[in-house]
Amino acid sequence: MGTPFLSRRDFALIAGTAVSAAGLRAQAGSSATSVVDRILKGLGGEAPANSADGFKAGDPTSTVSGIATTAMATVEVLRQAVKAKTNLVLSYEPVFFSRADRPATPGGRGPGGLDPEDPVYKAKKKFIEDSGLIVYRFHDRWQARRQDDMVTGLAEALGWKDHAVTGSNALFDIPEATAEQIVGGIRARMKLSGGLRAVGDRTARVRRVLLHPGSMTAATMWTRYTEADLIIAGEVREWENTHFAADLFTAGEKHGLVTIGRVVSEDPGMRLCSTWIQSMVKEFPVRHFDAGDAYWRAV
Amino acid sequence: MTAREVVERIRKNVGIPWNEQSYRDTFKLGNPDMPITGIATTMMTTFGMLKRAHEQGLNMIVSHEDTWWNDRDDTKDLTENPLYKMKRDFVLNNGMVLWRMHDHMHAMRPDYTVVGSLRSVGVKGGENATMRPGILPIPETTLGEFASQAKRPSGIRAFRCVGDPKAKVKNVLLGPGYATPRMTPDADLVIGGEQQEADGGFDNVEYVRDANALGIPKGLIMLGHVASEEPGMEDLAKWLGTFISEVPIRFVPAGEPFWT
Repeated sequence: MGTPFLSRRDFALIAGTAVSAAGLRAQAGSSATSVVDRILKGLGGEAPANSADGFKAGDPTSTVSGIATTAMATVEVLRQAVKAKTNLVLSYEPVFFSRADRPATPGGRGPGGLDPEDPVYKAKKKFIEDSGLIVYRFHDRWQARRQDDMVTGLAEALGWKDHAVTGSNALFDIPEATAEQIVGGIRARMKLSGGLRAVGDRTARVRRVLLHPGSMTAATMWTRYTEADLIIAGEVREWENTHFAADLFTAGEKHGLVTIGRVVSEDPGMRLCSTWIQSMVKEFPVRHFDAGDAYWRAV
Repeated sequence: MTAREVVERIRKNVGIPWNEQSYRDTFKLGNPDMPITGIATTMMTTFGMLKRAHEQGLNMIVSHEDTWWNDRDDTKDLTENPLYKMKRDFVLNNGMVLWRMHDHMHAMRPDYTVVGSLRSVGVKGGENATMRPGILPIPETTLGEFASQAKRPSGIRAFRCVGDPKAKVKNVLLGPGYATPRMTPDADLVIGGEQQEADGGFDNVEYVRDANALGIPKGLIMLGHVASEEPGMEDLAKWLGTFISEVPIRFVPAGEPFWT
């Protein structure tokens, strides 16, 4: 393990990649551990207690050839990272199919547990190791950043970056249209194949939207729904926020809810993460790969 | 007949020990000792469903899911919420009474939510299914064909699928509601209601996606929480009719909340 990208690094050096002397020195000594340390120092702040962030796959002592960011390190994303020679993958969501991110016994509500002999787990792990990839989960620390690039990234992806409501962290005043027209625009811009679901009056006029990438809690919905004509979230629970939005519709209230998918909603923020890393890590290529919409619709 | 008497009758006929500890299967609003005019079964006590039940003259609601937008039906943070007040006043002003039947339904034999869900997507052999029916074999088909054939009778708009449409499927694991089963090596199609998309106990969406990318064909179909458990509430209405004849009993759907 480690050999494939070491030789790739050697190749990059021999091929005369345009790097400064300082860059070369950094490159020669840059393990994944040290690169992640630099990123965390640049970020500042602390990881919250019970944070799930950390190295999840591959060898953290291996040398970094480049950095890839993504909302989720799916096999498709990892293949793109290999192709781009960006072997340190920063993933907002887990790589091994659960918060535990490793084989674990079942626990809690819902399905749980990953068998160490599970064929998909074993194949993905082997692919990561054979390709010399290192996967680091970069969720809590990135999310805790004061400048909320997860929201800014989503706004940018939706074409609303310049429409932010002054003094708000999540509200945008966008060109007025019906909920249905806006949903059509979201679907096209985010290249959604089937994950989007909307609740409420599709003919309602929408001017102010609230962006909430990732998961939105019921309490957020109860307290903030009056702030916007349309809430655009990653995911919610159906018996909580969806139920509330359906009841608002029955009550004749013009506050709609659109969920676009948790992972899809997080891709743009991780794209901004790659831009931010580029500003401080100069000696490697830094790329972003969208995990994209996993869903499609039966016809 | 009072709502309390209805619940007592259910308790006598449910065929399993009564779970006194359940915080779900309790009265949520209204006076349980008031005479009832009829029973409406439903998947979730939505405001829309309450209005339809009232129009049909049914004042007792037997709902599988919550009324107040959280599992515990905790209203302490909602007392000043205008929507809460409107919905509460509608129930009280119209003399309605709300009771939830969740935990007992899943413990019953059969579990009607599973029976109804299997029927709605055309999987045979689930007439007596319990909460975790295990793998059910279907005639071999592709994920795409199965999904197309199941979507129409189910009537579900947001019929979401993950995986290669050409993946061969013949071993189905189904769990409605939030009980979406985890994909196993023995199964090739998981059908669920709702599940957290990532960072949970087992992330089916990512797993199925990666399985296909690694050459292990699998499929996942997410029906929606309401859509997956609602058909069984019609079965529940029929079952109630086998031991309650004093008042009309009807299935009043909450309805799939989504447009796409």
